[in-house]
Amino acid sequence: MLAAVAAASYNGDPVFAKGITLGVWIIELVKLVAVFAIIMVGVLFMVMYERKAVAYLGNRWGPNRAGPKGWLQSLADGLKLFFKEALVPEGADRWVYRAAPVIAMVPVMVSFSVIPIGDTVTVAGYTTRLQLADPPWGILVMLMASSISVYGVMLAGWASGSKYPLIGAVRASAQMISYEAALGLTVATVVVLTGSLHTSAIVAAQHGGVLYHWNVFRAYGLPAAIFFVAITAEMTRPPFDLVEAEEELAGGYNMEYSSIGFALFYLAEYAALVTNSAFFVTLFLGGPDGPYWHTIGPLWFVIKVLAVLYVYVWIRATLPRLRYDQLMDLGWKKLIPASLAMLLIVAAGHISWRWGLAALSGSLFAFILLSRAIEVGRTQVEEGAQAELESP
Amino acid sequence: MDQFLPILLMVVLASAFAIGSFIASKMLGPRSHLHAAKVGPYESGIAPRRELAARFPVRFYLVAMIFVIFDIEVVFLYPFAVMFRQLSTFGLVEMASFAAVVFIAFAYLVSEGALDWGPGKRLGSRAGAPVTRSLNATVRRVARPGTPPSARPPVLVEGASTGSGAGARGLDPVRAGASGPHGEEG
Repeated sequence: MLAAVAAASYNGDPVFAKGITLGVWIIELVKLVAVFAIIMVGVLFMVMYERKAVAYLGNRWGPNRAGPKGWLQSLADGLKLFFKEALVPEGADRWVYRAAPVIAMVPVMVSFSVIPIGDTVTVAGYTTRLQLADPPWGILVMLMASSISVYGVMLAGWASGSKYPLIGAVRASAQMISYEAALGLTVATVVVLTGSLHTSAIVAAQHGGVLYHWNVFRAYGLPAAIFFVAITAEMTRPPFDLVEAEEELAGGYNMEYSSIGFALFYLAEYAALVTNSAFFVTLFLGGPDGPYWHTIGPLWFVIKVLAVLYVYVWIRATLPRLRYDQLMDLGWKKLIPASLAMLLIVAAGHISWRWGLAALSGSLFAFILLSRAIEVGRTQVEEGAQAELESP
Repeated sequence: MDQFLPILLMVVLASAFAIGSFIASKMLGPRSHLHAAKVGPYESGIAPRRELAARFPVRFYLVAMIFVIFDIEVVFLYPFAVMFRQLSTFGLVEMASFAAVVFIAFAYLVSEGALDWGPGKRLGSRAGAPVTRSLNATVRRVARPGTPPSARPPVLVEGASTGSGAGARGLDPVRAGASGPHGEEG
């Protein structure tokens, strides 16, 4: 009920209510620069945070020379790359080769702009939300960004004119699109619970009470887990980093890049990590909502994002890489059916518990059917291989 | 469409940053003499002898096509998700039947093995040899030394059949020790 009221009263950022005046322009530009700075600082921090945490998990020190305790190492690395030679390999398509890092980076930056960091604030008579943009199709920006970043990777691999980047890029795009359906279905589950595509409405629907309003509980947990796995695969983070499997592909799709092109890919990768962690917090962990002290929303938000980021580092330090067939099996045969079933169960459970039970039993029946189909499919493949073997 | 403005600004700023980085790098970075080994594609230090093959396994295309079906399903589910409160039971039944139809197609795909990667996992057991690698199994697969080529079973690995009994080298301790020319490894 709360969610329905919240969804009905949301109509974007109130700062635009009186038209676009000079004051609105100033506010928007300040917010723009602030969000850009948040992403940049977040990336620099995350690179270092990951290196340090992985080092400690592996009983090492990690980088500890540049700046206090080595915390300026990522900044130093970034600046260094500006002073390196920008080389375009001879087999490369010059313009596509240069455009690919830009295509990889821009959508990630754009998608951070719809994340609500806090509630509304009033500055000099202008009331605005603590988020850069609040369009009526807010959450679709995230799906847009994850879809377009496939192009960045694919074009980079294709335009490099080299063997390993091409294989890496084809793998990457197959992997990314495989997990995109599961990603879209879990986001749809959240939209069912909220009834709005506004990111601010999704967050507002999770306010109030002590944690139990969060979507991770309202959606019975599983969609949150699927979303987490799907964005991990979408970003080609470990344990789904077959794209850059250095033992077999010598670095993956960005192998022929040097200097700033490489830096932009790196930037895009870590910006995507920060942004998607923020999306996980927004969609499932209540955004800037906390158990107590609701006025310090942004602080709760930062704490939750840091916790999610730590989980990524932890996973990277712990889990071995999946095999390609395991990766595809997980995406297609487990996550997509599970997320579809959860969408229907959550939607049905919202109407009445009887419908919820019906959806649950229907899903269980579908699960049995699918297990049988997987079994049959495996036999088919084996028989095909056997026939090939026996043919002269 | 006012709400669209900040996103447009962000696109402009991010693109300007990326393009500006390229220009800055061009101005700041060194320019050295380019030679063939430097601009050639990376092949672990060996000059490539062939053009890059622009072909990859057909399964990638298959995945892309199946993805389109599922993406369309997701696209159809979004309006339902947004209007779910108004549609209520009617919407649920509609979407459940739509999902069921897509699911049946999906189950068919899976049962055809369209989403299986790599060769059959128990290929060995069906080829007549046990899964576990034992001396006897390997010898049976590659044939004993001295078997004429026509009498050998079909082999999986190219090259294992070349040379008389090369595949069985060192597997049978008695023979490996006895036959002089094949015993160089043991």
